[in-house]
Amino acid sequence: MPQFDSQFFSSLIFWEVLSFSILFWILYKYAWPPILETLETRERKIRESLDQAEQSRATAEQKLKEYETKLQVAAKEAENLMAEAKQKAQQLLDENQQRLRADSERIKEEATQDIERERRKAIDDIKGQAADLAILVAEKVIGRSLSDDDHRRFAKEALAEVAAHSKN
Amino acid sequence: MMWVVVGVASLFLLKAGAAKSLVPSKIQSMAELLVEFIQGIIQDTMGPSGMRYFPLISSLFLFILFCNLLGLIPGTYTVTSQIIVTGVFAIGVYGLSLVMGFKLHGAKFLPGILIPPGTPGWLLPLMIPIEIISQIARPISLAVRLFANMTAGHVILGVLVGLTITGGLLIGWLPFSFTIVLYGLEVGIAFIQAYIFTVLTCVYMGDAIHLH
Repeated sequence: MPQFDSQFFSSLIFWEVLSFSILFWILYKYAWPPILETLETRERKIRESLDQAEQSRATAEQKLKEYETKLQVAAKEAENLMAEAKQKAQQLLDENQQRLRADSERIKEEATQDIERERRKAIDDIKGQAADLAILVAEKVIGRSLSDDDHRRFAKEALAEVAAHSKN
Repeated sequence: MMWVVVGVASLFLLKAGAAKSLVPSKIQSMAELLVEFIQGIIQDTMGPSGMRYFPLISSLFLFILFCNLLGLIPGTYTVTSQIIVTGVFAIGVYGLSLVMGFKLHGAKFLPGILIPPGTPGWLLPLMIPIEIISQIARPISLAVRLFANMTAGHVILGVLVGLTITGGLLIGWLPFSFTIVLYGLEVGIAFIQAYIFTVLTCVYMGDAIHLH
């Protein structure tokens, strides 16, 4: 086998070492630095982008939280306003009701008083007419024997009697 | 032939390195894939401190890979099928690992690689010769593995092509179709052997760095 032919060994070793050294040198000097640099740059860029994304996410989250709190505050405020309005409305309603009740009470009172007054007046009228009637009747019965003063006295007595009857 | 290897390998990587764009082109991403592959090997076997040896190990990998691959082109010659070539690499790598070990650990290096940790005292007379043999076997196996794989592949291909020629058209298509299949296999072997050689180099160097 030519592989074990030792006459080529020294030249093979020489060329191998030489060519490997050249390859190593070329790669070490010219090929690896840019490739490694590119890789590193990309890695850095990716990491930076990720960091940035993370940061943006955090900011967004914070904003969201802020908005949520704001929303909550607003909702609470609205609720408070609503409750206040409701309370006010209830109050107004109560006041109105009270006033209406008072009004109606007053009107009723007035009406009662009116009625009472009218009744009194009617009774007085009736009293007057009854006196006249009594006088007329007495005149018919007694004739002209009594003076005007007597008439009046009798009439008053009769009236008092009538009034006592009507009160009962 | 070695010049061709040097030329092709350097051309490929110089071209890939020249692009330098953040969004890689095909050749650039190929080279970057290769770089990350080798970096992965070093990381797995030697740890982060092994990154110092990246230029050497990557050059070794590329040299062997291109030797193997270019040797598959009919009419070319496979440098790595020479025992002396693989032997020089193996001895060089092993010698380097020894030098590194002595440099890093001084006098503690020899007992460090010859005595596995936790060996009881009465086993030492047995363990030390075994470890010495295993150490000596390292460069030999490294050299012979690559050489034998490359040579065997070419011998088989040669035999099959010879059969094709002597068999003529009537029966010659059979060995010829075998050569096609074997060629695919050989491409795989070219990669695998370069990979194995590199991994073992890293392992030996890693042993020198971290001892056992």
